[in-house]
Amino acid sequence: MTAQVDPEPVEVRFRAIQSITDAALSGLDDRELLVALLDRVREILRADTAAVLLLDVSSGQLIATAAAGLEEEVRQGVHVPVGRGFAGRIAAERQPVILDHVDHTTVLNPILWARGIRSMAGVPMMAGNRVIGVMHVGSLTSRQFTEPDVELLQMAADRAAAAVISMNAQADRLAAAALQRSLVPTALPAVAGAELAARYIPGDGAVGGDWYDVFTLPSGELCVVMGDVAGSGLPAAVIMGRMRSALRAYALETRDPAEVLDRLDRKMQHFEPDAMATVLYAIIDPSLDRMRICLAGHFPPVIAIPGQPAELARVAPGLIIGVSPEARRHVTTVPIPPGALVCCYTDGLIERPDEPIDVGLTRLTRAVTAEPAEAACAAVMRALVGNQAARDDIALLMVRRQPQSPIIGSG
Amino acid sequence: MTAEAGFPVEMVSGVPVVVVPEEIDITNADNLRAALSEAASHGQGRFVVDMTRTQFCDTAGLHALVAAHKRTRTGGGQLLLVMPGAGVLRIFEITGLDQVIPHVASLEEALARPPDAPAQPS
Repeated sequence: MTAQVDPEPVEVRFRAIQSITDAALSGLDDRELLVALLDRVREILRADTAAVLLLDVSSGQLIATAAAGLEEEVRQGVHVPVGRGFAGRIAAERQPVILDHVDHTTVLNPILWARGIRSMAGVPMMAGNRVIGVMHVGSLTSRQFTEPDVELLQMAADRAAAAVISMNAQADRLAAAALQRSLVPTALPAVAGAELAARYIPGDGAVGGDWYDVFTLPSGELCVVMGDVAGSGLPAAVIMGRMRSALRAYALETRDPAEVLDRLDRKMQHFEPDAMATVLYAIIDPSLDRMRICLAGHFPPVIAIPGQPAELARVAPGLIIGVSPEARRHVTTVPIPPGALVCCYTDGLIERPDEPIDVGLTRLTRAVTAEPAEAACAAVMRALVGNQAARDDIALLMVRRQPQSPIIGSG
Repeated sequence: MTAEAGFPVEMVSGVPVVVVPEEIDITNADNLRAALSEAASHGQGRFVVDMTRTQFCDTAGLHALVAAHKRTRTGGGQLLLVMPGAGVLRIFEITGLDQVIPHVASLEEALARPPDAPAQPS
């Protein structure tokens, strides 16, 4: 069979491919879309089977993900290593392959030759210059797939690749957002004499690596954590989750905040050697009259005392997590007089393009006043964020010691 | 967009110099990463990252610099930062990285420094 005797002009067949993908992109999940696309490909190319194998990067295997005609490929979870067999060769060479003789020497997947497939054509699915999979068609009768056939197949593969990429990205975004929601406390603990309020705003609609945590220890101490993992999306959210649980575990073991962060650092460098994060960890006495705080590369909190301008708490800096296994951090004790407010935040709150960080810090200290925690949160968000979309994540956590603390009477 | 967009790598007196723009954040940290790799491949184990113009560098930017610093140090080389007193130096002090990655106040000082000079925070 040649292109000349083809009963349907190439343009008509191109449009047929286009029509399905445009219409199908909305509303179908990726597997349904791929199957719908493969059905159409099979029909247009008059093939008996059409299949998509997607590359699993970690194993270097192509995995049968969708098929029309010989669905058992997918049901049996066919795996083909890159570089081997028909599909593996297409992925390795990033080139279309036409095969007019199918047997165990040319095709690795036994389902294809056992079911009597005689001729095949396959093309790579690309994301930029990266191979993400292979699309191929097969015929039960001996025939020569033509160059126009391959062009059509490539067009369908390009559309399938675009859909897979966008749906994978969407799945990652949803997973990261769900993880983030599960990690940031929905309800802050109720602590007599203290008020807590917090905000978390994902940057540019995508989740980054900011988190905060508030919990009490068996001793009655109140612990406050604010962190920022380098990176964004699902990988950063996963790291964030591990750091949050590890820090909670160390917090139960030692009451020294520097020891907690040093242990967290060693744990991260061993198990997640590529991760980096800033963390603030403060332990507030049950009486609320002071906090013992340790910083790992994080901005110091702003402290506002009634009747005084707010200022950055003078806390010893400590090395960011993920750099040096020898890092040893220090604890600073900061008094919290009645009515004082402690404001913890991530860099997303104070960053502005082309502006030194001190300008942002000054803007923040001016916006913080020793008022009730919820009102203080609202005031800071109004002054520093206003109506602009956040480029980076923003996390903000306010802890206020009430003016007349019931625990210590009138102070 | 090329990997080096906004991050030219220049050869100055035989030393690769990465010139960093006003701000590094999650939107351009990958470009910085690419430029650092390129600079590391050009020099004889030693290269300069000029952050004179830089006002802001978030954790994504710091991550790229720390990764390049670790790689260079493992290979026996040196990544030298140029940070004048104001601006981005504050972020390095807050993160403690001013104690880890060697830095000087000007490009002239960086180029004048003998290749085997001990790394010392200024």
